[in-house]
Amino acid sequence: MLEEQGFSTEQSLQLIQEMIGKAKRSYISRGFASIVWGVLIILCSLVTWAQAQFKFTIGFDIWLLLLLALIPQIYFGIKERKSKDFVAHDEQTMTFLWTAFAICIFISSFYNGMYGPQSFASLIMMLYGIPTFITGGICKFKPMILGGIICWVLSIVSMFTPYTTDMLLMAACGLFAWLIPGIILWNRYKKQQAANV
Amino acid sequence: MFKELDPILHSQLRLAVMSLLISVKEAEFTFLKEKTNATAGNLSVQINKLKDAGYIEVTKQFSNNYPQTICKVTPVGVNAFEIYVKALQSYMHPNSNGQ
Repeated sequence: MLEEQGFSTEQSLQLIQEMIGKAKRSYISRGFASIVWGVLIILCSLVTWAQAQFKFTIGFDIWLLLLLALIPQIYFGIKERKSKDFVAHDEQTMTFLWTAFAICIFISSFYNGMYGPQSFASLIMMLYGIPTFITGGICKFKPMILGGIICWVLSIVSMFTPYTTDMLLMAACGLFAWLIPGIILWNRYKKQQAANV
Repeated sequence: MFKELDPILHSQLRLAVMSLLISVKEAEFTFLKEKTNATAGNLSVQINKLKDAGYIEVTKQFSNNYPQTICKVTPVGVNAFEIYVKALQSYMHPNSNGQ
């Protein structure tokens, strides 16, 4: 417990560092949303690839799973926000960023309907890179910065590949932009929880 | 000559509270209590001192029928904190700023 007594300049600086460190550790993300989206993007891409490659259909649009996944995401997001007793500096920025991304993805589904799926994957992968790269930059989280860059590189590659290959590239985007960073965040969160026990 | 340290900030609990509030946009009383391990009474007194100095804003509201105290550092508080840290650094490295 902190006492009201005189203390040295070294102790002051130590205390400042300790408290800033404690605050930072409070807002380590669980990476849950990132893992869910990573898995879904990989699953939807691979199923779409398999349907095109092996000429069969599963009878419904697999990408509708993304819409269904939104419901638990929103529910857990609101629940987590309510249980938190602080607001981080960049929370509002993140909310605006990912809302803008969701709106762009929604609008792009009309683009797909009008212009067909051939150039759609390149556009989507380019969009995937934007929030991932910015989030990584704001949070100083290198795996997400790298994930964003990989999305853009794969977007360029997909301009020269057939639609079926594009789906494999999109699965790779899900892996590098969300699943791997999400697993790293989850491990960090678990380590922090273990350290707090 | 050494800069004088701000007496409002040069207190362990008040400095801890300011360091926490600098790191977040805003925080509830419970967050500050948990991180500083202070008693509710002592923390309340120190928060009031910071509020009276104009370093933090304190908002009291109800959430799900429970009282909630939200604290947020003000621009005056940010400025005072920066001056305090610079003064501390000048104490530790007296030659680095020509003093």
